[in-house]
Order: sequence, then structure tokens, then C-alpha cells
Amino acid sequence: MFFSISLYLALAICLVGLIYKAYSWLTVSVDPRDRQYSAAKRAGAAISGLLRTVFSPRIGALLRGLVWDGLLQGRSLKHSALAWLGHILLFVGFMGLLLLHALGEQITASLFSDYYPTLDPWLWLREVLGLMVLAGVGIIVLRRLTVGGLRQTTRARDRVAIALLAVILLSGFALQALKITSSDAFDRMVNEYAGMDDPQELKALRSVWAADYGVVFAPGAIGSDQDLLEQGRELNENNCIDCHSPANHAFASYGLSVLLRPVALGLDQANASQILYYIHFLACFLGLALLPFTKFLHLLLGPVILAVNAATEREGMNPAARAALRAMEMDACTHCGTCSVHCSVGITMSLIPNYDILPSERLASLSAKTHGGEGDRARLAQTREGAYICTSCQRCTRLCPLGINLHDLWTAQRQDLADEGLGTPLREIAEFAEQAAQPSRGRHEVLVDTGGFKKTLKHSAQAGSFTECYSCRECTNACPLVHMSEWPNQELDLLPHQVMYCLKLGLMEEAMGSRMVWNCLTCYECQQTCPNLVQVTDVMYELRYLAAQAAMAREN
Amino acid sequence: MSYALFLGCKIPSYAPQYETSARAVLGKLGIQLTEMEFNCCGYPLRDQHFELFILAAARNLALAEAQGVELMTLCKCCLGTLKRAQKFLEEQPDLLAMVQEKLAPEGLKYQGTAQVRHIQSVLHDEVGLEKLEDLVQAPLNGLKVAAMYGCHALRPSRITGFDNAYGPKLIEELLKVIGAEGVPWQGRLRCCGGPLRERNPELSLATIMMRLEEFAASEAQVLMVDCPHTLLQVKWAHETLSGEGKPSLDGVVLYPQLLGLALGLEPGRLDLTQNAPAPSGLKASPPPAKADPGGEKPKAVGGNSPA
Repeated sequence: MFFSISLYLALAICLVGLIYKAYSWLTVSVDPRDRQYSAAKRAGAAISGLLRTVFSPRIGALLRGLVWDGLLQGRSLKHSALAWLGHILLFVGFMGLLLLHALGEQITASLFSDYYPTLDPWLWLREVLGLMVLAGVGIIVLRRLTVGGLRQTTRARDRVAIALLAVILLSGFALQALKITSSDAFDRMVNEYAGMDDPQELKALRSVWAADYGVVFAPGAIGSDQDLLEQGRELNENNCIDCHSPANHAFASYGLSVLLRPVALGLDQANASQILYYIHFLACFLGLALLPFTKFLHLLLGPVILAVNAATEREGMNPAARAALRAMEMDACTHCGTCSVHCSVGITMSLIPNYDILPSERLASLSAKTHGGEGDRARLAQTREGAYICTSCQRCTRLCPLGINLHDLWTAQRQDLADEGLGTPLREIAEFAEQAAQPSRGRHEVLVDTGGFKKTLKHSAQAGSFTECYSCRECTNACPLVHMSEWPNQELDLLPHQVMYCLKLGLMEEAMGSRMVWNCLTCYECQQTCPNLVQVTDVMYELRYLAAQAAMAREN
Repeated sequence: MSYALFLGCKIPSYAPQYETSARAVLGKLGIQLTEMEFNCCGYPLRDQHFELFILAAARNLALAEAQGVELMTLCKCCLGTLKRAQKFLEEQPDLLAMVQEKLAPEGLKYQGTAQVRHIQSVLHDEVGLEKLEDLVQAPLNGLKVAAMYGCHALRPSRITGFDNAYGPKLIEELLKVIGAEGVPWQGRLRCCGGPLRERNPELSLATIMMRLEEFAASEAQVLMVDCPHTLLQVKWAHETLSGEGKPSLDGVVLYPQLLGLALGLEPGRLDLTQNAPAPSGLKASPPPAKADPGGEKPKAVGGNSPA
């Protein structure tokens, strides 16, 4: 009764959650431009796109996505054999237990007429599957603890998912072990199936089950002489053996039961197996109920995304269907951390501790922003920093085991940020620098403190070389921007040699704010040609760093 | 010497034909490559964060040092950035200390011994022109090529060591041995505008447009760039140009693609069709007067074969 109620409750929560999620895929927008597509339009586009793919030669790619990337998880093999092994063990074990054990009565029994969970091969197979899941979870935990990039991105939701799986598996094994040792369970089975009431016969059967099956009875309830055991074996053969393979065929649980023997009677009295049974199925139902809200959702979304992305190109996809796919991709992420471990700019985290640099964390921020509305400004600025440290190398997209097109999500995210007034930081810094230069424009008195200014240079020591400039204009003559401009002085504010000269006068704002500095091509023509080894291009870089610093200081 | 191919951020996703053709050619030449995963070279970070640029570059260099391999870049900006970072680290002990501290948790240490070369330098200096010439099976019949040297490889030459910044000849020599001719043209040593793409897209586009006009004014048949940033700039300009009736560009190529053709590799292995714009056919001049006595070697590539 309690079992059924909790099962239906879990199913109901799961179903409502899935409906809620499906609704969100049709309504939330990562890219603000996706808002124009209604739920009906998205659903229609997604279904028609799917149908057009299924009835086209691309069905081959779609099936390959399902089988190779989905069932065999070929994509995770690309980045780490150990990660692949862990997940394939977990996946095969979990699916096996689901079909053979959780849904054994419904599925396996209808396929095999001789299905009985206490008979071989089902008995030992269940143990194998359980151990596979445990080994998979073990590898996952091991990687989380030892791979640097994973250690720093492990969050509560990862721990909860791992813990839930561990509870389900360990309670399962413990329950099986307790059942092996339990005399209560023995008595119940005898009552239900054997219908014996002769005390002598019962004692004989008990003795055999104590000796051969590992059941622990109260002292005095069993004997050990040969006649008794022989009688017991005969009874066992007539009544039990057809439905019971030897207990030690459940090898892992049997091993555990041997350890439990000294305390087995006490556990029986405390009704421990009943308690474990509750823990076991409630943990399973909790997983079921939480499926739409945890990383377990990838069980359903993963195959969809792998198949769709294997068969279609993001460019040219119907934008309404793309809007739905983007929302699904955000929910499909399992936070496995592959993208962050391999991120091309992950190393920068050690200098700028902003988690939004790492793809897995940036995706979480994106998801929170998309589902939760505006978000505060500081948070957004942090996301923007991550978004623009990203070099768009697309390694994350190539490596994602679920085939999520992260690059497309990043494109949408940058668009969203730009709409919030948080576009390319460089252009903003350039504007800031130009404004900061205004007060000094046309000023007559200058600050001739080159030495003091030189000390404020914090980045490349080479930037101090401006002091060696003697205004020969070689740099300006070499500069392609100067060549391209009809009226260089108007278009560039300052010519390269004038930038150097400004610095010599201590007019840093003036130099920083000139369009020359911000439009510098970094082609190094000036630096190459300078007869006095002024590192002109590097000075331009330095001025941009200083402006970025000043802009940041003002913001804080 | 063992090399690790340093692909950088752009090539795998935006110019995969560069990697494909480079691997095909290096394989044909018997150069063994050590497969390694690197991070960003530091170039895209350099505009905003000096220290991030240095750290990213140093990690790559330290990784190569730990493996005892030389870095071979395909991208000229990667080359310049890694070289520039080496120089900064040599000159600034404060930077070196920062780098060592940040690399230590990974068990890495920057020694300063890493060698970085562009694939063209490897072909020119390590494989050598003579060997290349010996291996050529299908010389390109005097194909006229306008090559761009690439700013960040060429300058500052004291640091990059690629070639003489004012009178470079490395690329022309590489072209000569495969039977092509590097023609003089205005844009040869100039900037493609790539670095400005984010800061000032208009000016960036104007810069590459100017290069394409210079190319159109030259006698060259194809444009050769050996940097993914320039390749992307050309693609961008080409897409913008088309439809406006402006002089269109016949085709852009990479040196490994030309070399591959000359070495007799299947055009399919060189992915020429992925170039934007792809050369409509490498229009070769009439075969050289020098008679080929054996007649064994396949005929020179010409007509429409590669596309």
C-alpha cells in the first residue's frame, strides 16, 4: 500500500515535472531574438524538422548519433577512456537493473517464462549489474577527486546525484545480504510456500539453510548431525530448490552477509531488512520524482540531442526549432565537466577566479539567467567577463559527451548580454578612455614627470621604452592606419610618434583616449622600424591595459 | 626533432583544411607528430589582459618542454604570441615568478627552453629546400602566387626570427621549389586587419579589402595566406564583396595545399574545396620547356583538377 502510494506519487511528480520542463523548452529564450517564436511555432518547427530528417538520407547520421554516441557513448571516448569506462559501466548496469530488477515483473517476466528473481541467471546477473553501477560511480568519484578541473567544478547537485545512486545501490546490496541471513525471511517463505508444520522437519530444513545458505538462526533452533541434514536436504529439494539458486550465487551480497552473521539476529529483531527495503525503494522513487529536475534528465534528453545534432547543422536550422533545442540543451547538461577540463582558456581561472570562464559553470549561469529573469548587474558583469575571455574555439562543443552545441548557446548568450548593454568590453573601454581624455584635450600646461609615469606601468616592462623616442616619425611613416587615412590626424587623433610624445609629457589620458591606440592593428610595423628600439606596438598594448584597469577601477 | 602541432583556437573549427593539408604533407615528408592538447596561445587574451596572455602562452611552452617536443604552429599569430611571451618571460623576472607559481599546481615549470616554429620555417629550414625539391612529383608550372607573410610571424623580427622583416624570401623560396612563383605585390608584408575584427569591424574589413585590391592589381593567379586569421578575413571580405559587382577573388590557398599537390597527394586529402573562395582551378602556365626524359612523373597539376 505504502509502496504503491509512494510509487504513484513519484510518478505523478515526475510527470508534472516533465510537462513543466517541456513547456519551458517551448517558452524560454536564451537569445532575446528567440522570444518571437511562440510555443506552437517552436513545437511545429521541431516536429516538422524531425520528420523531414527522419524521411531523408540524414536518417543515417541520426541513427549513428543514437547508437554510436548514445548507446555506446563514442563521444566521451574521445576525451578520456576512464570517463567512458565509468559511464558505460554505470549506464549498462543501471539500465540492466531497471529492466531486469525494477521492472522485472513487467518486462523480463513477459520475455522469459522461467523468470524468477531468486534463480540463476537472474540472481547473479543482478549482482553483476549492481557491481557495474558501483564501479561506475566509483570511477566517477575518483575522477572528480583527482582531475583538477573536475574537483573545482563539483557542486552540491553532483554530490546529491552521486549520493542518491550510492544509497540505492548500497541499500540494495545490504538488503539482499540481510535477506540471506534473516531467519524471519526464512520463516515467512516456509509459511507461504512450503506449508510445513512438523517441528522436526522444520528443524531439518533450517539446519540445511543455516549450513548451505547462510541463514542465521537462534541457537538451539538448528542441529548439525548428518541424519538431520540429510532429511533437510531432501525437504529442500522438494520444496525450495526449484525457486532458489544457491545463496552464494548472489556473490557480492553473500560476501556481505558473511560479515553480517554475528549481528544477524539482532538486525532481524530490529526489523532491519524492512527498514532497508523502505530506504531502497524510497531512494529509487526519489530519483524518479526528481528526474526532471536533476542531471538524471539526460537519460531522456541525451538521446534526443545526440540524434538531432548528429543529423542537423545549427546554421540554417529553422530558428523556431533552434530556440526549443537551445532550451533543451541547457537542461540536458549533466555538469560532467568535460568542457571545463579541456577549456582552452581554463588556465586563466588561476589569475581571474571567475567561474563563468569555465563552460560548465557559464552554462549554469546562462540557465539561471534564462529561467530566472534579469539577475543582478554584478553577476551579469561576471558572466560577460567569462563570455569574452572565451576565444570561441569550440572545443567544448566538439567534446561535449551529449553533443550539446555550446558554441551556439554562447552566441545566444553574447547577444543576450549585448541587449543588456554588456557587449564587447573592448569597445566600452575605448569609449571610456576617449571620455577620460576629454578634460586634457587642449590643455596647455603639461605634466613633465616621465619618471613617475614610467613607474605606473605595471605590465610589460618594455612599455617604458617610450622614453627613448626622439620623434623621428619612422613609426608614423610605417603605420598602415596612417596610410589608409585621408586625414590621419583627424581620424586617428594622434599619430604613433605623437602617442609616444604624449607619454613623454606624462599625458597618459590623452594617449590612452586616442583612436590610434584603439585602432592599432598590432602589425608591429612601427616597432620593427623604430631606429631607437622603442617598442611602439607594445606601448599601445600597455595603454589599452591601463585603460581597462582604469575603467574597472571606476566601476568598482 | 619531434614536433607537436600547435593548432590554436581557430584552426580546428574555422580552418580545418589547414590542419588536414598540413598533416597530409607532414605525413608524406615522414615528420612524426606528438599529439598533445594545448590551451589558447594567449593571442586572443592579449588585447585585454597582459598577464593572462603570458600565463596561457607559458603553459603551452611548459607543456612542450615537459614532453621534450618542439612546437610547430600553423597560425602566424600563435607563433608571434608564443615568441613574444618567451621574450617577456626572459626579460621580466616578476612575470616568470607569477607563471611558475600558477603552473606549479599542475606540476609544470617553465624552463625557457621550448622551441617554437611556424610550419613554413620547419619546411624551409628543417626539411630543407633540396629535399623538398627532390620529392616534388608534379611541379606547379610557374603558378603565380601572391603570398602574404603575416605580421605576427614577420615582426618584430628580432623576436620572431621568421625572416628578414624588410626583404623576406622564405616563402618565395618555398614556392620556387614546388615550381610556383611568388610574385611581388603591395600587400605581401602588410596586415590583414584580423586583429581589429572585434574592436573595429569596419576598419578591419577595409584593411582586408585593401589587400584584395592590391592582389587584384598583381599578376598573381592565387592568393596564399598561411594564417587562419587571414584566411577568415579573406572569407569575410569575399562574402561581403560578392553581389556588389566588385572584382572578385579567384581563390585563396595555403602553402601545405600547394606543396601537397606538388608532392602528388590526392587533392581530396588537401581539402582545397573548403577554402573560401576556393580556387576555381590552379591555372598553371604552359609546361616548362625543360623536357621530362622519363615521362614517369605525373603531369603537373593544372586545369580544373583540384576543385
